[in-house]
Amino acid sequence: MEGLLAWLVITLIKIVVILAIVLGVGAYLTLVERKVAAHIQRRPGPMVVGWHGLLQPLADGLKLLTKEDLFPRYGNRFLYNLALVMALVPATLVFAVVPFGPEFEAFGIKVKPILTDVNIGLLLVFALGSMAVFSIALAGWASNSKYALIGSMRKAGIIVSYEVVITFAVMGPIILAGTLSTYDIVQNQIDQKLWYVWLQPIAFVVYMFAMLAETGRVPFDVQEAEAELVTGFTVEYGGMKFGLFPLVEWYIEVLSLSAIAVVLFFGGWSPINIPFLGFVDPLFFLGPLSPFVWFVLKVSLLFLFVLWLHWTLPRYRIDQITETAWKVMLPLTFVNLVLTAVFAPLIWR
Amino acid sequence: MEYIALLIFFFILLGLALVFVFINYVLGPKSSDALQDYPYECGVPLYDKSAQSTFHQGYYLLGLLLLLFDIEAAFLFPWTVVYRYLGIFGFIEMFLFILILTYGLLYAWRKGALNWQFEEESL
Repeated sequence: MEGLLAWLVITLIKIVVILAIVLGVGAYLTLVERKVAAHIQRRPGPMVVGWHGLLQPLADGLKLLTKEDLFPRYGNRFLYNLALVMALVPATLVFAVVPFGPEFEAFGIKVKPILTDVNIGLLLVFALGSMAVFSIALAGWASNSKYALIGSMRKAGIIVSYEVVITFAVMGPIILAGTLSTYDIVQNQIDQKLWYVWLQPIAFVVYMFAMLAETGRVPFDVQEAEAELVTGFTVEYGGMKFGLFPLVEWYIEVLSLSAIAVVLFFGGWSPINIPFLGFVDPLFFLGPLSPFVWFVLKVSLLFLFVLWLHWTLPRYRIDQITETAWKVMLPLTFVNLVLTAVFAPLIWR
Repeated sequence: MEYIALLIFFFILLGLALVFVFINYVLGPKSSDALQDYPYECGVPLYDKSAQSTFHQGYYLLGLLLLLFDIEAAFLFPWTVVYRYLGIFGFIEMFLFILILTYGLLYAWRKGALNWQFEEESL
């Protein structure tokens, strides 16, 4: 009975930590994005609310919370609200299988810094990732507005195309690791002294393309296309509902997919890797904290990379994006899969 | 046990999402303006009230392709996990499977299913 209580308390603490990370960091990433965008365009960005705009996300949140609740008159109210629930829940649920660091011991209890180490972790990630298409299709359909429908159809088409590509791309690292559990994948990379990005560069590039497409980040942001579609499928949403869609799409999903990319290709919490030789840890002085710092560092670098792309690249057309997915990315992943299957026995030893 | 934690997290998130759905109704002001809930269309009156009638057929085709290839991905996932224990037999079996898959892709390509269906072409 006591074991059950301890388990429940630990689980709840983990959930609170994950929610704090997702919503707190997610909200503050809006400020990071605005600052980075501003400095890329050689302007200071938000400066008024707080020191260098540090309180800006709070002000934005308050503003969104106190807006009137509007609903487009010809829409479907149930689906309209369901779209919001289906956007937030699966995207955040992905964090349940993101391992933040190695197992540690606190107060005599062994704790894994991952909510649930299920043995189908990656399958869960991509199953939940596919749910995003429902929320977007529903949001556009239920709003019953032409801009929203066009935006949501574009986004759904892109997600549908890159969904296939991303599932085939991650199969390479899975073959090398021989498991679907995210925790074990990282552990295997540490045991094999190898970040899988060294052997899976094709898979990594394809994964990054798919990540940008699924989150609607710039070269693939046709669903938003503010010059032609206003804001795409969120046109008819207001207040916090409007705030939540970009939060989920641009921050929570980018964060979760970056974290999964770090897990799959960059050895999760492990320090810098020299292939087959070992790991070099310039942050050794942090002691037991260093794995967590490494993980956060890698995820933030990937996130900043996505931001950098967002504010420097132009936008493609929908036909170019989907044709790239089917004609370039998918054959590449097939080739990568067969190649990986050929040389994988050398890695397992 | 592992999945119960997932379930708890799911219900907490569901509650949170419902809070986000209703919070504006609770906190926001309530004004009444005749056109405030009118669908946005650049300030002109709507030509038809419903937008749910037409969308480009290319999206439909993409959905069909997804069905084909995602089911095949579902076949490949278990193989990737146990490939380590299958040896050369597993390799040849799956090589043939991927070959057939590639053939299917080439067929779709040849038939023009991967091309975006422009309306001008049908005219």
